Amino acid sequence: MGELRGCGSIEHTISRRAAMGVLAAGSAMAFNGNALAAPLTHQNKRVLMVFLAGGVSQLETWDPKPGAPTGGPFRAIPTSVTGTHVSELLPHTAMQMHRLALVRGINTAEDDHGKGSYIMHTGRKQEPSVAYPHLGSLVARMVAEPDNPLPGYLHVQPGGGGGSSAGDAAFLGPRFGSVNISDGKPPVNIDLPNGLTQARDDSRHSMRRKADARFLATRNTAETEAYTQTHDQARQMMAKKALFDVTNEPDRLAGGYGRHDFGRHCLLARRLLEGGAPFVKVTHTNYDTHHENFDFHIERMGEFDRTFATLLEDLHQRGLLSSTLVMVISEFGRTPNINRNYGRDHWSKAWSVALAGQGIVPGAVTGKTNAQGTAVVDRQVNGGHLFATYFKALGLDPTKKHYIDQRPIPMTDPAASPIAEILA
Amino acid sequence: MIRLANGVALCAVLTFTSLMNAAEPLSQAMDGAIERAEPKFKDLASSRCDDGTFLRRISVDLIGRVPTSSEVRTFLVATQPDKRAQWVDRLLANPDHAWYWAQVLDAWWMERLPGKNTDASAWVTYLRESLAANKGLDALVAEIVAADGVDPAQRARARFLLDRDMEPTLVVRDISRLFLGANLQCAQCHDHPRIDGYKQEHFHGLMAYFNRTYLFDDPKLKKKVLGEKADGDVTFQSVFDPKKVTRKRSPGLPNGPERQDPMLTKEQLYVSAPAKDVRGIPKHSRRALLAGDLVTAGREPMARNLANRIWAQVMGKGMIHPLDQIHGDNMASNPELLEIMTKAMLDGGFKLRPMLRAIVLSDAYQRSSMPRGKEKKAEDRLLMARLRPLNPEQVGYSILAASGYDEAEAKALGTKATPAALQAKREASARPFINTLAPPAGNPDGFEPRLEQALFMSNHAHIQQFLSPRDGNLAARMLAQKDSGKAAEELYLSVLARLPDESERGDVAASFQSADRSVAVRDLIWALLASAEFRFVS
Repeated sequence: MGELRGCGSIEHTISRRAAMGVLAAGSAMAFNGNALAAPLTHQNKRVLMVFLAGGVSQLETWDPKPGAPTGGPFRAIPTSVTGTHVSELLPHTAMQMHRLALVRGINTAEDDHGKGSYIMHTGRKQEPSVAYPHLGSLVARMVAEPDNPLPGYLHVQPGGGGGSSAGDAAFLGPRFGSVNISDGKPPVNIDLPNGLTQARDDSRHSMRRKADARFLATRNTAETEAYTQTHDQARQMMAKKALFDVTNEPDRLAGGYGRHDFGRHCLLARRLLEGGAPFVKVTHTNYDTHHENFDFHIERMGEFDRTFATLLEDLHQRGLLSSTLVMVISEFGRTPNINRNYGRDHWSKAWSVALAGQGIVPGAVTGKTNAQGTAVVDRQVNGGHLFATYFKALGLDPTKKHYIDQRPIPMTDPAASPIAEILA
Repeated sequence: MIRLANGVALCAVLTFTSLMNAAEPLSQAMDGAIERAEPKFKDLASSRCDDGTFLRRISVDLIGRVPTSSEVRTFLVATQPDKRAQWVDRLLANPDHAWYWAQVLDAWWMERLPGKNTDASAWVTYLRESLAANKGLDALVAEIVAADGVDPAQRARARFLLDRDMEPTLVVRDISRLFLGANLQCAQCHDHPRIDGYKQEHFHGLMAYFNRTYLFDDPKLKKKVLGEKADGDVTFQSVFDPKKVTRKRSPGLPNGPERQDPMLTKEQLYVSAPAKDVRGIPKHSRRALLAGDLVTAGREPMARNLANRIWAQVMGKGMIHPLDQIHGDNMASNPELLEIMTKAMLDGGFKLRPMLRAIVLSDAYQRSSMPRGKEKKAEDRLLMARLRPLNPEQVGYSILAASGYDEAEAKALGTKATPAALQAKREASARPFINTLAPPAGNPDGFEPRLEQALFMSNHAHIQQFLSPRDGNLAARMLAQKDSGKAAEELYLSVLARLPDESERGDVAASFQSADRSVAVRDLIWALLASAEFRFVS
């Protein structure tokens, strides 16, 4: 999955388990099916999250500082938006800048992989008493059509697999947990066994469900829910297996996405979104560049840049982009200071994300960092502001609350409001 | 003290159960500690679980599989007042007990790492023979740590080190985590940022036991073994220390004394000096020193860690959670209970069977998983049993047992049906289930159901064979019944260790009306094997 760096500790290993962190005691809260706020309006909107795992360097992407002592060897290049420059490592994405909004003033004040990732996925700092659900689970719950056969929160990731999916949904229930599509391949065993008809499969699952209803009537836990959900999700996936066949795509387009894993995964993501998936996350790994930051970013951006530009253009051509909220995020950025291994270390004080699509003002830039990139000097925002922005972009009310055991829990951090200047 | 499920207290039964517990003072001590921790325990605790539930629990926990329908029938009608204790002893004496628990220890200590340099099945055999011989777990750990892999008769025990490539950081992390219950990984580069008790010197004190050991590709033996030099020191700096002060550390357990090397002259250093083709054997082995220290200075942390893990294995959650975070700021859910068990481990010579016996005969283990009231965290407070998932081995072997594969194989093998032969068959047939349910290699077992597992259970060819009738198995027994009620009983006793209720009998009867009975039987068995009631221990 990722390379061992630093002390080889779990913080420095890029694994899904580490990236998702350890959810606090609240995640063990038994799912008791409490009535949540009624689903908010949903009109065929969807979300694409591109997660660059490990901490992508803002200085080698969205907020270059060429010439600064901390700027590194790369130049800045102009983009399709006058006055906006990005790193020279993003030539294709630069030509798509008129579709993207940049948020350059992020300070999440959390340099730990797991905790930083938690903030970016849930909009909150980790708390001991409550575990908050991922954006993907919230979208699965509130934006997806209730009868959508696809799981609401799909995660296309490089091989590996393991890792809690039910936990992502916290108190929303395991039904809205992320479903991993390992290495972008259709799940193995997606076809019924020989001799088993659809009618028989329906019937034996109906027996299974009846048995579960009886057993779980009096004691239902998060774990039993997680288990029974996998069977229901399996059936849903089987019904939609055609979506996973990326070989059905025209060769030229597949070439544009890139003949590497990330390219194929993004192509699959587009198919899934087009096929009705409400929330698709694609992970690209190996951004934790404590060593050889510049070489690694050449290589990583070499994959990311063309793929992402192709993906944006493809979504636009299919008329999907205006109703798809797109985000390119990481768990934090990287230090302006260059260490003795030509690396940059974790840096959450001044970094960037890119957004596009549904509800976002294309070409907008908000937030400024100082000349060295060591601090935000204008329009500082944190994970809560970003989260509220996503809500607003999707037409959801960020001030709404969940009700868990009659206890109101705000859906987004009440202290953080949406970033109005990038919202359409 | 004990309330029966239907609320009626029978004095005679109370007396008998007290007699039974009196035979197991450790069980009583444990229950005492649990009761003392809850002021209103008697009012809040759930009642005792029924016999079928108890039998299913001890079968999966002690021999790794659900009971057969005939075992359930036998147990339900038995009238001896101490039948639960008798059945526990029967299971502990069953060769399958050591066979299953060897797999538990294997999963704990190797976390399904491949047999890169050694024979993984020989290692499991070594664990099984050790358990069958009632070897203390402390002695077992000492053997594992001191192993060099040279003697073919003892190579299996070297798997722990050899299949980690004797990579020192990995070995130190895993020893601290698995044997001492303290994950010191984050203390390699600096004192642990969040845990006061985990210091950099602890990590490097353990490292110093291993820093002279190396993986050696022996040209004569043509396999990888462990050699050791007689020199080399461990030094370290903290990445948080701006002054970059370098510290030296001699071997030593966390919070234990540092072990100085003996003063030896240059000529005295080696039994066999290391060379290109020669494995180094020092006169003073730091690694052998660790084996000795673990069972002396390290006895108490080892005992506490094992007590916690054994408890977690059969109760569903450790007294200290997570299992590798034993430290001053992480309070045990019941500190008195943990200390009682730690002391029992120490006094009992680290034997596994007596500890298991005491736990499964405690009231705590036998408590129902039905809540009595609406108490918060009732499972953590041991007011009720935890509804817990079967581990991958338990699922695999239980699918085989429940579908009657074991019985069919025994019949097919006839006189050749020795325990060893049957175990081999079961291992092979359970392997696909175990592999699908296991976490990725190098990760501890934890319950994370995945879509792929549901697809495997539904669609993979492997499970289909167990649903087809074969002389002696469940499908055959069900099809042999003319009466659908008897077939229903056979089904529910075999898969869920209980009798079916009226509605369930009705469903089976309805299924039996369909055109193809064998199809109906397949799907009925599958539906119950895929059910939550089967997947969990209730």
